[in-house]
Amino acid sequence: MKMPYIHGIYEARYFWIHLALSDLRAKWRRSYLGIAWSLLQPLGMTLLLSFVFAKIFKQSIAGYAPYILSGMIVWEFFIATLTLGSMSFVQAEPYIKQYRHPLAIYTLRNTLTNLMVLVMASLSLIGWVLIVMPQNFGWCWIVAPLVFPLAALIAWPVATALAYIGARFRDLTPALALIMQAMWFVSPIYFEASLFRNGGLGVLVDFNPIYHLLEIVRAPLLRGEWPTFVNFAACGFTIVAAFAVAWLIGRKSEDKVIFYL
Amino acid sequence: MTENYIRLDAINLHYSAVAFRERSLKTLLMGVTPGRHPKREVHDVHALKNITLQVRQGERVGLIGHNGAGKSTFLKMVAGLYPVSSGSRHVKGVVRSLFDLSLGFEPEATGRENILYRGLLLGLTPKFMRTVAEDIVAFADIGEFIDYPIKTYSAGMQVRLAFAISTMVGGDILLLDEVIGAGDANFMQKAKARITKLIEDSEILILATHDFGSLRDICDRAIVLHHGEIKFDGAVEPAVKEYGRLTGTGK
Repeated sequence: MKMPYIHGIYEARYFWIHLALSDLRAKWRRSYLGIAWSLLQPLGMTLLLSFVFAKIFKQSIAGYAPYILSGMIVWEFFIATLTLGSMSFVQAEPYIKQYRHPLAIYTLRNTLTNLMVLVMASLSLIGWVLIVMPQNFGWCWIVAPLVFPLAALIAWPVATALAYIGARFRDLTPALALIMQAMWFVSPIYFEASLFRNGGLGVLVDFNPIYHLLEIVRAPLLRGEWPTFVNFAACGFTIVAAFAVAWLIGRKSEDKVIFYL
Repeated sequence: MTENYIRLDAINLHYSAVAFRERSLKTLLMGVTPGRHPKREVHDVHALKNITLQVRQGERVGLIGHNGAGKSTFLKMVAGLYPVSSGSRHVKGVVRSLFDLSLGFEPEATGRENILYRGLLLGLTPKFMRTVAEDIVAFADIGEFIDYPIKTYSAGMQVRLAFAISTMVGGDILLLDEVIGAGDANFMQKAKARITKLIEDSEILILATHDFGSLRDICDRAIVLHHGEIKFDGAVEPAVKEYGRLTGTGK
């Protein structure tokens, strides 16, 4: 990637940071509970789901609920960042037509907004685990916050690549909803990883970046263990691959996006 | 002091046709089904043709031409918004452009918040924006509405606020698409004075206009664009004559 491009993103930092904060304010404007909703929403959904799943899979609800909750908040982050992100150039049209900033700042804006929601939502997870499984608390927890930068570094380039495509092909958003649904289905997000392994579908776990990313939170919080080196390596590899794809698409498309808006 | 300049060398610019060609399932099916369909090919638009040009420090350049001659495209290309298909573009200096002012407000945010956002869009710092915010509020003169969300504004109020923000800071190179008038007669007068000050402060001005009056007042050099080509480049009076000859309106 060219240095002037990265420099341009840095130069525009005030702009995208303020836009992200503005998005966050706009999201909860004129609601009584405001930002508390980003905690309540996943909590409520988790209670509902774990009640059903715990019955089906005959597991204890207290132990299974944090598993679902951790999967849900991280997955919601990806859904929001990628589906909104795919339209973020279209959304930023008035800005793009007035001033030449690196386009990646507009997906960064979305990523940042959703990251702040994720951070809020994760408080509910931490609270839950501390009450239900206090024995898990330990040194290994210090790596858990790494999930935030790692998730952002995966979602941002992917969202950027999608936004280049989305500017030109407006069919992307409905198609993406379908793809995300499929991804959710084949990933250990709500379903336990052991369920996949026992079914002979271990491949869907071991080669799934979402699994490895979730392990960075789940290993310490839910099991009191350190995440493995493989978990981090898989995340690192995914980040490199995502940036490479975004760069390849952006190299050709960055200049032309303005014509498609 | 460093010299500001614009140097364009053999610039061509195409609007790619894919952007506005109809892409739908219907057209796709029409393409594969047998039978004759009336064919309407959409070609790339060759908006700027072989533009070679130099503008030096201190020049006041007027850009005239019929509608669709490429004036706005030219300005947006100089501003770096549109990519060139071939040729090279060198621009030295901070470019400030005033094109479509009403674009780019966050409708849910208040006028005050939008002053900050728009300033940041233009590459200014929050610190600087805080120092000029009160001046902008005073100039826009929209009263208590400044603390209301933008979506409650009338069109006129939006333009006034946009104008007040966008003209707060000048640049080395000022690109104007028409001398913008905004709001009622009273505001117009203020706006004119503001624009005149911006023009005086800029090192290089390029003004696209249809108004020969302001062209003669402001510019010392004029360029005639005709179907994307430079047909004349020189003094203002002969340029106006050439424009009249090309469009068949002059005598």
